[in-house]
Amino acid sequence: MKINRREFVKLSGVLGVGLAITELGFDVKKIKASTKEFKLEDSKEFTSVCTFCSVGCGMICHVKDEKLINLEGDPDHVINEGSLCSKGASMSVVPNSDQRVKTPLYRAPGSDKWQEISWDEAIDKVTKKMKEVRDENWITKDSEDGKDYPANRTEAISIVGGAQNNNEECYLLAKMARALGVTYIEHQARL
Amino acid sequence: MTNHWIDLKNAKVILIEGSNAAENHSMSMKWIMRAKENGAKVIHVDPRYTRTSKIADIYAQIRPGTDIAFLGAIINYILENKLYNEEFVRTHTNALYYTNEDFSFDNGVFSGYDEEEKKYATDSWSYQLNEEGTPIIGTSLDDPQCGFTKLKKFYSRYTFQVASDITGIPVETIKLIADTYVNAGPGTIMYALGMTQHTVGVQNIRSFGVLQLLLGNVGKPGTGINALRGEPNVQGSTDFALLFNYAPGYFNWPNSNQPTLEDWTKKNGTFRRRFFVNLLKAWFGENATPDNDFGYGWLPKKDANKNYSIYRIFETALDNTMKFMYIVGQNPMVTSPNLNLVHEGFCKLDMLVVNDLFMTETASFWEKPGVDPSEIKTEVIFLPAASFLEKEGTLTNSGRLVQWRYTGIKPVGKAKSDLEIFDLIYTKMRDLYKNSTDPKDEIFKRMTWEYPKENTSMADAVLKEINGYDLKTGKLATGISALKDDGSTSSGNWLYAGVYTEEGNHSMRTGNSDPSGLGVFPEFKWCWPGNIKIIYNRASADINGKPFDEKNKYIWWDAAEGRWTGYDIPDVGNINDGPDQPGGRKPFRMTGEGVGRLIANTYHDPDVTYEPLPRDVSSVPADGPLPEFYEPVESPTTNILHPNVAINPCLKYPRIEAKQPIGKKEDFPYVLCTSSIAEHWCAGSVTRNVPWLNELVKETYIEMPVKLADKLSVKNGDRVAVSSARGEIEVKVMVTHRIQPLQINGEEVTVVWMPYNWGYKGLSTAASTNLLTIDAGDPNTWIQETKACLVNIKKA
Ligand code: SF4
Repeated sequence: MKINRREFVKLSGVLGVGLAITELGFDVKKIKASTKEFKLEDSKEFTSVCTFCSVGCGMICHVKDEKLINLEGDPDHVINEGSLCSKGASMSVVPNSDQRVKTPLYRAPGSDKWQEISWDEAIDKVTKKMKEVRDENWITKDSEDGKDYPANRTEAISIVGGAQNNNEECYLLAKMARALGVTYIEHQARL
Repeated sequence: MTNHWIDLKNAKVILIEGSNAAENHSMSMKWIMRAKENGAKVIHVDPRYTRTSKIADIYAQIRPGTDIAFLGAIINYILENKLYNEEFVRTHTNALYYTNEDFSFDNGVFSGYDEEEKKYATDSWSYQLNEEGTPIIGTSLDDPQCGFTKLKKFYSRYTFQVASDITGIPVETIKLIADTYVNAGPGTIMYALGMTQHTVGVQNIRSFGVLQLLLGNVGKPGTGINALRGEPNVQGSTDFALLFNYAPGYFNWPNSNQPTLEDWTKKNGTFRRRFFVNLLKAWFGENATPDNDFGYGWLPKKDANKNYSIYRIFETALDNTMKFMYIVGQNPMVTSPNLNLVHEGFCKLDMLVVNDLFMTETASFWEKPGVDPSEIKTEVIFLPAASFLEKEGTLTNSGRLVQWRYTGIKPVGKAKSDLEIFDLIYTKMRDLYKNSTDPKDEIFKRMTWEYPKENTSMADAVLKEINGYDLKTGKLATGISALKDDGSTSSGNWLYAGVYTEEGNHSMRTGNSDPSGLGVFPEFKWCWPGNIKIIYNRASADINGKPFDEKNKYIWWDAAEGRWTGYDIPDVGNINDGPDQPGGRKPFRMTGEGVGRLIANTYHDPDVTYEPLPRDVSSVPADGPLPEFYEPVESPTTNILHPNVAINPCLKYPRIEAKQPIGKKEDFPYVLCTSSIAEHWCAGSVTRNVPWLNELVKETYIEMPVKLADKLSVKNGDRVAVSSARGEIEVKVMVTHRIQPLQINGEEVTVVWMPYNWGYKGLSTAASTNLLTIDAGDPNTWIQETKACLVNIKKA
């Protein structure tokens, strides 16, 4: 990590609170200036957008040897003008964290542990069960005032989530849910 | 947001209510401080003095759940003292429209109330119509038949004293806020979950609507009603309808009693039908034809009488109806209210599948402290997902700005992007059904689904599908106006038409010039609809198309050029239709009558080309055409306006008596409000795995007033047991001056506050606050009342 953790904590814990209010956020450029050992010359850059609140602050990320080595507010972004708050500024931890789950996991009925499985096994298990539940719990019609109407759905499968996903993912998730006949489709907007 | 983040700098007065923007939307402060530098006043109304209050000129501590009474008093003050923008009210709102003679409000309910069903018949919430079927419009604001007179009578009950008794805000503070807000302009409003997580959430926001319409604070720089949305892409995920009741682009998902597209159109209007046809073309391609209703029949239909919201998912799991849950990047075992019920629901499922970055409380619900995993039969599969930095695609911020995220790193380990995971699941399901002849499986044969397999090109292809095509030329659709209703165009979400044209992917644009200096930045990324930065901007000009306020002009009619022009894309039906023509006349083109609705109305305008079908069918709130104050379900006091109708009369709660107890003030004397903090976010699934952030705030706690701490003989750092009718947890105490005891209806009421970001997984663990909170929901949105429930507190 190029931003020394101590300095980060010092800045965001002591100054960050004040900065967030008086100087409009956590100024990563200041930390950058104070840490001499920044060596980004031969790194590659890409831009992203913060994944916490909906301000949508722009970020610049630096990659060296396929590893994210730095992340900071994008000064060319017209909304955040280079600043990030404590949450956004700490996001370089995410791709480098050993807490990330790196392989599909399976927990059998009644078991007290996870077991690693392959993607093939995982997708097989998911789709087999999904098909079984869909087939066994299909509602073909609703009746109202003595008339039957096609219902074409299952109420035994639910799909939840999406506010952390990109738009393209949300779109495909909704499309897939409706193909499955799902009416229980929900996400964080109600929370 | 009707406006956008940078536009906050153009305001002269900013009302922040139900939001701690400094902590939860920190970068908004950049633009609020710019406004302050230019002399703007900031007003903060919230149950707790926060970092946002610190930069405010006026702070008012409000009792959770009483915003309608506070805003009602300000609205009443404006009406009684004629402080409204008269020209705007006369021409741009329905103030002069004659309301139905049967419309009434008595003893806490509006006309049409059915006590047994807890539901309104909305017939009397309409206008009086003339022979042509259009509304009768009066000429005087004092005409007893017109809506404005009804409005004045309705609000006359909301005196400063009544509002003060209900909210706990001193009379003089309410008056100071009213004077400050009314006298400075333009004025904008910022709100967040503090306004929506109530059983009167929709009506809270309707109060903002009435206030802004009365003052003409709409469509101009520095005005509007601005929702600070909680999640990075909750705007997008809502736009794309990960919600049971909508299709992508906010039209109603069909009910089974609408078996044909025409039946659906009768209820939803021809305006939205056009967009539905484009969605069906995007989903079913060549298989969607006018002869087969564009494939409408293949879609699943809802039962019109059922609520399919997230609460029902867990509740139907309890009775073994719900069997399979697929959760993508959400952690309800921390963020849902009444967590004990949620946990029971998970235990009843056959299978739970979770896509996430880190191990969450949801995926490992069977490891919850104190439970025996051997008794939990649910199969669980965890699919490791790529983080936002490890994949490409767009997201949409609160200001509707659609931004492309690039990547330069690979997903960790064997993780895959959610896009790839959905593709794997869908194509496998299609495969499993490939030999089926069952009609229920036909949709898999008809749906278009051929995407490149690599993440970035898949995202690119999907964004193009969302934007849509002119199917005759095969070229990308240029915008909403290019979409046809005959099947010759497609668009996966009409709101996004124009984001990706033959000129390129506009969500990648980086143009940073701002010709007007108003923060419009027309070439920086792209926003929906049609790159209009401030929606309803037609309302910034008078009926003749002249700016109301020459100093703050934004959009106007240029008679010489024969077109609307200005600093933004004009929000009009037709850019070349003058102010006297249908496409240029309406200040609010989405409603049938084309004006803003002070009193909500059921009016639908007929479509002349499709008679007898309605053109637009905008809806009215289920719980009334005007916002009335009702107490939270768990309240520390009586409703002084109508003691017999204390809570929202349309609320159906408890849904399951045994699992949803309602606490009484005798047993649970304190009001609990919950929210998030600057250092941790939502369920904490990510932030509690970041050591830096854990070092800043490492566990949950309860903030309580000094007086309560003295009474309980506790000091900072002591542990207390906090209990509600639903659960009990132990946490540390933070004694604070930031919350003061309130005087409510002559009695002292104590409010306490807790963050809700913790659970038993991750690097930082602590008890979940949502074990305490209530899952009663707003009858329109089914959003739960996590901002106000009752608790008891004892020294642990
Ligand atoms: S950096 Fe902070 S203010 Fe900006 S989007 Fe992220 S969470 Fe929001």
